[in-house]
Amino acid sequence: MTAVLPAVGAAPAGIGFTLEGLALGYGHDPVVRGVDLDIEPGEVLVVVGASGSGKSTLLRALAGLLPPAAGTVRAGGAEITGTSAERAMVFQDDGLLPWRSVLRNVELPLRIRKVGRRERTAAALEWIDRVGLAGAEGKLPRELSGGMRQRVQLARALVAAPRAVLMDEPFGALDAQTRAQMQRLLLDVLAGTRATVVFVTHDVDEALLLADRIVVLGGPGNGHGIRASFAVRGAGRDAGLRDRILKEL
Amino acid sequence: MTGWAVRAASVLAAAGLWQALTAADARLWLRFDRLPTLDEIAGEAARQLVTPVFALDLLQSLIRILTGFGLATVAGVAAGIALGRSPRTRDVLLPLLEAVRPIPAIALVPVAILLFPTDEQGIVFITFVAAFFPILVSTRHAVRALPTLWEDAVRTLGGRRLHVLRHVVLPGILPGVSGGLSVGMGVSWICVISAEMISGEFGVGYRTWQAYTLVDYPAVIVGMLTIGLLGWLTSAAVELAGRRVTRWLPRAARDGVS
Repeated sequence: MTAVLPAVGAAPAGIGFTLEGLALGYGHDPVVRGVDLDIEPGEVLVVVGASGSGKSTLLRALAGLLPPAAGTVRAGGAEITGTSAERAMVFQDDGLLPWRSVLRNVELPLRIRKVGRRERTAAALEWIDRVGLAGAEGKLPRELSGGMRQRVQLARALVAAPRAVLMDEPFGALDAQTRAQMQRLLLDVLAGTRATVVFVTHDVDEALLLADRIVVLGGPGNGHGIRASFAVRGAGRDAGLRDRILKEL
Repeated sequence: MTGWAVRAASVLAAAGLWQALTAADARLWLRFDRLPTLDEIAGEAARQLVTPVFALDLLQSLIRILTGFGLATVAGVAAGIALGRSPRTRDVLLPLLEAVRPIPAIALVPVAILLFPTDEQGIVFITFVAAFFPILVSTRHAVRALPTLWEDAVRTLGGRRLHVLRHVVLPGILPGVSGGLSVGMGVSWICVISAEMISGEFGVGYRTWQAYTLVDYPAVIVGMLTIGLLGWLTSAAVELAGRRVTRWLPRAARDGVS
């Protein structure tokens, strides 16, 4: 059985999400509650919020790793009941399997889809090259720097052409210079896909750089829902935008 | 002197002491006069090594240990994973296993003799039980210590239960399990030799005990040395295999394995 693999660049259309009355967590004090949000297919939505505001929890629900305590989450109109290869996730750190080489990590989603060895190796090598790691295919994760590991995670998330990429503070553990490099790489790589991106960060500048739209979650003295939403793309160099977002945090 | 020279000197000194005590028929409080000298042992070893019975005994013990240990590896890892991941399995199996676990495998010899049609199967059973529990316990702990992040990663890449088992659980528990395998191999040898002494017709343990009852003391020592050598070789093999499959660990953690 061989799945048809879209060529790099000929990615499938992004998927949209609809969140209605969503509460996440356990017991009487959910981490996230009363979230209503539409995420458009193909948009880059950045979720910002203070620590403990439930950003990562929200992302886990979109991935299908965490069932809602109340309300619904839909992806492409269908309720999310579990994980799917359509919604790939990039974790903050250590999301790579430490016993698999760079190549074996990147090709894993294709192996799960039963893509033949030659085809999956070719696709994995192409993505390893695109994230700037050509020559490091045989290395183990422990032999890589933090930035290189995140490049591998990015390649692994995108190699099977998912319709959404969920990124949980993927650059949060990197030094400032590496972080800037990774942000540029992400913009480059995303330009070649049509996937919807939901990106979680606590860094407003990072959000402004990457986002089509920014939502602020939680916040002081507020409940744990969406506190504010800002269109970024098309806003031009709006100097006041950063301040308005910071005020909501 | 280098480290190796010191080590060699230490072994030679111990052998020399043995030779001095036995050759002089020393009767201190310990009675060395009944024990064979080094040349008697060496002569006996040289005589035995070329006999077919020696090879047959060796082969018999090895087959027993490898069968029992192999079965225990499969059963112990499977049960350990099931216990570590399924609360239902835990409810069903854990009370039974915890009730049986404190009983030393060698205490099961009478039951094994009654239960199995042949002594051979009984001995393999004892060896199996001996290795099963260390492997089970180490597997269960290793499964529970697995970071959930790896499983989350594979699931968000489209992986289902079997993918998680194959790509996360089995490789992820290897460092923990290989420690259990080493311990299991050690207790397996204790039990196979004891079981052979009680109810074997062949095997290194049986031959050693038989030599004792026949007052052939050099042969007893040769049997002991053979058992020690076999135990060392099989443990080294398990350890080597463990190191090979856990090369991905950082060096410090890898040295802690086994």
